[in-house]
Amino acid sequence: MIRSDQQILLDGETSGAIPRTETSREKHDVPAMVLRGLHKSFERQIVLDGVDLTVKRGETLAMLGRSGTGKSVLLKLIIGLQRPDSGSIRIHDQEITRLDLEALNAIRKTMGFLFQHAALYDSLSVEQNIAFPLKRHTKMTASERGDRVKQLLSSVGMERDLGKMPSDISGGMQKRVGLARALALEPAILLLDEPTAGLDPITSGEINELILKLQEEHDMASIVVTHDLQSAKTIADRIALLHEGQVLIEGSFEDLEKSDNEFVSEFMKRDS
Amino acid sequence: MRRPFEGQELTRQFDEIGSKSLPLVALAGAAIGFVLALESRSSLVHFGAQSMLPAALVYSIIHETGPIVTGLVVSGRVGAGIGAELGSMKVTEQIDAIEASGVNPYKFLAFTRILACILVLPLLTIAADFCGVFFGWIAENLAEPVSFQRFINQGFAGATFKDFLAPTFRTVVFGLIIGLIGCFQGMRTKGGTAGVGLSATSAVVLSSLFVILADVILVKIILVFFS
Repeated sequence: MIRSDQQILLDGETSGAIPRTETSREKHDVPAMVLRGLHKSFERQIVLDGVDLTVKRGETLAMLGRSGTGKSVLLKLIIGLQRPDSGSIRIHDQEITRLDLEALNAIRKTMGFLFQHAALYDSLSVEQNIAFPLKRHTKMTASERGDRVKQLLSSVGMERDLGKMPSDISGGMQKRVGLARALALEPAILLLDEPTAGLDPITSGEINELILKLQEEHDMASIVVTHDLQSAKTIADRIALLHEGQVLIEGSFEDLEKSDNEFVSEFMKRDS
Repeated sequence: MRRPFEGQELTRQFDEIGSKSLPLVALAGAAIGFVLALESRSSLVHFGAQSMLPAALVYSIIHETGPIVTGLVVSGRVGAGIGAELGSMKVTEQIDAIEASGVNPYKFLAFTRILACILVLPLLTIAADFCGVFFGWIAENLAEPVSFQRFINQGFAGATFKDFLAPTFRTVVFGLIIGLIGCFQGMRTKGGTAGVGLSATSAVVLSSLFVILADVILVKIILVFFS
């Protein structure tokens, strides 16, 4: 039986899977993440105060803002590590704020997350770190898993460090391994929390190039939280600036540079 | 109980909690057995009952000294280890990373550690008991030569299966307490490295405290139901 694209799209909505048959233009019009009216506070401190954002499939959004404005919190809300006080988060057109753990885990499998300090499991080797999600969420045999791990490590330029422990590699290498682990399940959404923080300019540049290359290869919707304006300019299709719990401005790098808003111009001037 | 059963992590925990605790537990059991034999001998000689020494030693080691010493030694070593390891994983976002990858961290981290504690404690207690009895015999042998076989025969003369069952049940409960408290304290760690230290300390203090309390309660329950 021949099914229409619409039917496939609907099936994808109900199962949480990603429909793969649309044309390129249609595909990039489909929102991968839609956030509406997100509020989050910790005790009396309001961190997010009505955040609205949409990220389409294949699009990279850089999230800028001062320290402590809730950028990392926003990523943790999207992947369900924290729950919003109110508001809506739709991933692949499925509301995730009210899902039980099992359904949420099914959504999480379609997302990759690179933590600020990579968060590699320090009792596991580089190889075991990357194999961790594969072992639990795929039916791959040990040899297929081994091949996939080698392929992922090769894509981040770490194929020689398979047996090393996380404590034996540098911060930049840990970020690369973290990135490979985030990509292990071929996610449709990639969330990167300060991928270049604490790295020297050369390593930062390498990580940026790597992210660009991987985005071209995997065509994911990505949110990149960063303080690095140069990095945002290099890897993002669109930039959002978070200020006082809300998205103050959203647009291209040039839009932000041209903005008349006092805070935006101050932010762009200081950072550059 | 769904796949994967985390066999690799469980094996690692058997090694961490079991094999690596064995030398300390064996040494503690040996010291207790040796000292107990020396101390008991002088008292029993005073009453002319030194022939009761093997039975008294075996009874006290198997019933009380072996389980409680093992429980307290493992509380210190393993409780601190679990609290610090999970605490460190918490503050470095490793537990968040496990959760973000769609894996239940309680199953992967807590369940494996608690199960390992439950299964390993009785085995460690047997090792502590054996070392205690053996070094008790050495202490007795220094004062009055007696063959090991005769010492054992005298020691276990009145022992029944029930004498082993109740202490084993107690050590299973000790294992549950140590594993639960270590994991609970570790996974609720806050506040960076200072928080990790606090979790390790509180895991040791609370698990030791609850092992002692459980010992008191369980001895009473066992006396009611098994005697």
